[in-house]
Amino acid sequence: MNGPLELSERALAFLQGEGQATVTRERSLLLRYASSAPTQATELDDTSIHLLSLRNGHVGAATTNVSTDEALRNAARRAMAAAEAAARAAAGPGDHPGLPAPPEGYRAHDGYDPVTARIDPAPGGAALQAAFDVAAEHGLEAFGAWTSGAVETALTSTAGMHAVDRVTDAYLKTILRDARGRTGWDAQSAAKVGDLDATAGARRAAAKVTPEEPTVLPPGEYPVVLDADAVGGLLEFLGSLAFNGQAHAEGRGALEGRLGTRVAAPAINLSDSPRYARTLPRAFDFEGVPKAPIPLIQDGVAHRVVHDTRSAALAGGGARSTGHAITPGGDHHGPTPTNLVLVGGGAADVAELAAPVERGIYVTRLWYLNVVHPQQTLLTGTTRDGTFLIEDGRIARPLRDVRFTDSVLRLLETTEALSATPRLTSEGEYYGRRFAWGTVAPALRAQGFRVTG
Amino acid sequence: MGAREPVLDLLRETVDRAAGHCAYAEARHVHALREDLAIHDDLVDAVDADESAGLGIRVLVGGAWGFAATRDVSSAGADAALKRALAVAAAQPAAGARPLAPVMPSVGHWEGPCAIDPFAVGLEARLSHLFAAVAAMRGDARIIRAEASATMVRTRKALVTSDGTAVTHTATECGAGLEATAAAGGEIQTRTYPSSHGGNVAAAGWEHVLGLDLLAHAPRVAEEAVELLTAPELPGGRRTLILHGEQLALQLHESIGHALELDRMLLGEASYAGTSWVAPSDLDASLRYGSERLNVTADATLPGGLGTFGWDDEGVPAARTMLVENGILRAALSDRQSAAAAGLPRSGGCARAEGFARQPIVRMTNVSVEPGDAGSLADLIADTDDGLYLESNRSWSIDDRRWQFQFATEVAREIRGGELGRLYRNPSYAGITPQFWGSLDAVCGRQEWGLWGLTNCGKGEPGQIMQVSHGTAPARFRDVQVGVA
Repeated sequence: MNGPLELSERALAFLQGEGQATVTRERSLLLRYASSAPTQATELDDTSIHLLSLRNGHVGAATTNVSTDEALRNAARRAMAAAEAAARAAAGPGDHPGLPAPPEGYRAHDGYDPVTARIDPAPGGAALQAAFDVAAEHGLEAFGAWTSGAVETALTSTAGMHAVDRVTDAYLKTILRDARGRTGWDAQSAAKVGDLDATAGARRAAAKVTPEEPTVLPPGEYPVVLDADAVGGLLEFLGSLAFNGQAHAEGRGALEGRLGTRVAAPAINLSDSPRYARTLPRAFDFEGVPKAPIPLIQDGVAHRVVHDTRSAALAGGGARSTGHAITPGGDHHGPTPTNLVLVGGGAADVAELAAPVERGIYVTRLWYLNVVHPQQTLLTGTTRDGTFLIEDGRIARPLRDVRFTDSVLRLLETTEALSATPRLTSEGEYYGRRFAWGTVAPALRAQGFRVTG
Repeated sequence: MGAREPVLDLLRETVDRAAGHCAYAEARHVHALREDLAIHDDLVDAVDADESAGLGIRVLVGGAWGFAATRDVSSAGADAALKRALAVAAAQPAAGARPLAPVMPSVGHWEGPCAIDPFAVGLEARLSHLFAAVAAMRGDARIIRAEASATMVRTRKALVTSDGTAVTHTATECGAGLEATAAAGGEIQTRTYPSSHGGNVAAAGWEHVLGLDLLAHAPRVAEEAVELLTAPELPGGRRTLILHGEQLALQLHESIGHALELDRMLLGEASYAGTSWVAPSDLDASLRYGSERLNVTADATLPGGLGTFGWDDEGVPAARTMLVENGILRAALSDRQSAAAAGLPRSGGCARAEGFARQPIVRMTNVSVEPGDAGSLADLIADTDDGLYLESNRSWSIDDRRWQFQFATEVAREIRGGELGRLYRNPSYAGITPQFWGSLDAVCGRQEWGLWGLTNCGKGEPGQIMQVSHGTAPARFRDVQVGVA
């Protein structure tokens, strides 16, 4: 079978007029487990061919996973018909400024690991067994998932784009649970499957399952130590609420009127850094624009939003794509950062972050986050799998999970300290075509965490 | 596609080849065609057509499942996928016996309703339909974005199992919606119709979109978005609520539907979606889930429902099940494995898979609150002395046991002396599942009851998006905490 780049070239040839062909091949395996036994295993080999057609600034798209000439010809016909119908129905020019010209080249990255790309089930089976063994040592049961994937993306366009990128990723989640339902959590994400350590992860999860009865905390505002996974979850939402160039250009973004002003504590330095050591790197976005580091908040001051070609044209003023198209042609909801990195601070660990707190909360991770008010970056969600009361500077005893309703930017404004070593956090969700991503985040301490239930 | 479709022969060959290598095998072929249209103001945002086809092979070896999916729909492709599924199952640690609830083999074809084939309606005509509605939302300078979208899907499935089932299925889904965003004075508000998550989708053809009458509702949607800009915030307190059918559908989905998935109750989803506050032992009809007014069904035979089919993705025939009767828990949503694990005699027929590349897991079908005796919405409002009427979901969140929730809606209206009054913006409410459903004291009648299609229900690893419908009528709840966000 031809490789993705050849397939992309073949598909592009069926398009008349301006267009782009994007081929994505995914090979992946995901093993799930519950109650210290394997439960489900999904192995996938699939290739999507996406054809984008432009007519007078309007886009039409068609995707198929059949690579015969007939199927490609039909997909091209549908994409062109869609763009032409859009141009006629809109009765005016569209908002796409045209496909970007090819860059001089792409920087190499280390996000591809040939061992991971084998999609070998054996290390997965061994990881499950390791988690089961640690759970048994502690009288607990293990729940979680192990996965590895390899994704090859090839992109050609009538503007001369001709690019291919290969990435791999691996993820292991371990939840250990006692008979009363108390749980502890650990998650690891990396480009290489060999970087996952199932035994160490299970031991970290086990340490969070403590024998005491959880205390109930009433609603109110509390000092909080958010561990890296909780911070990563909040920053993921901030990425789309604050840094989406399209929403910002339309006056709907959370940084409306605030670029160039202080929006967070001076210790907050947030960037989109696709080549940061612990992130999941990529060479280019879905328009072939190279990925490059972009400072978003520096010393607490908001500096930039991110763009794809379409949102940059909408923003005007010389704005250019920053390499953040999340679909070919740019998603109609706008671009978003995919490699957020929050720089760490000086605290050695969460224990040091908790030291100044007389009475507060330590949160391992957050769950079911949802937006209450987008411009205020106001979210609600619950804590999960390891919530503790901090008393007299010590992470003292378990708390029953709480609901919070709070603004991400407000929490960053009141951030007092961060841990020294950020790590890659990810929810490990793989909906649709695999696109592994995560946020590099440290733990942090903030004031006034608003518990609402 | 009929039961003699050639692809069934390929699936039969594959399942036959699995014999002797596993305790159970199933082979599924899915062909899916989808179009999504999105416009805003005078621009087309997206015209996306997506077509996919492939095979998914699932085997059970020594208590461990293996599943492999491929786009190579050929004998060689199926054979390779079968070998990978067997290898994946074998690579996992040994698992104990994993019995499956029995099922009678089925052979046949099922086809959902579709009066006007949406793929046969010209693309320009469909876009023009949306543009007309968007134009009717524009005019006031405070409307900064007016949007419309439409979705149409056709899915053809074929399933063969080692139990002797060989069935095919064709379903069409169609829906559309509007959204107006207004901004002024540093405030932004959004109003939608007919529902806030991409519109209302049904198992139907383009006739469903025409029936939504987007054009007629568009001016009101824009006016209410603007009106919300200067409406007061909803003050906190404990109030009587009447929930519009759409909001009640999501409330039902999150706090009853997911909580009654038997795999969650058995801890099988603890690693991702979560567990449930309901235990399998509660299925002995001893658990009060809500007030006597609460009657909940799971019905995979409901015309127009996104959870309607002839057989589920394990070949179990569609069924209607009483989940909650007069407030008492009667049954859960189950597949063959969870039913057997809980000691139930048969599967509830709730195994569903997204496309060819995912394996079946326990899913809602059409989970509905049955109509009550409170008459029309006007009757219910007239019967309410002091309360709030909440419409259109804006935000939702619930814990991993489906115990404590918080919802926000686009709009709340005061009810005083049986009449609707002023508008409030940013309304929210929160509660504890059994207490909240225990406060249900009235459900409107059949004349107000309708299906609400949700197309974004996420579950499983790797993630699966499922389409479900919920039948609801407006309902009243007493003493609910509001103004929590």
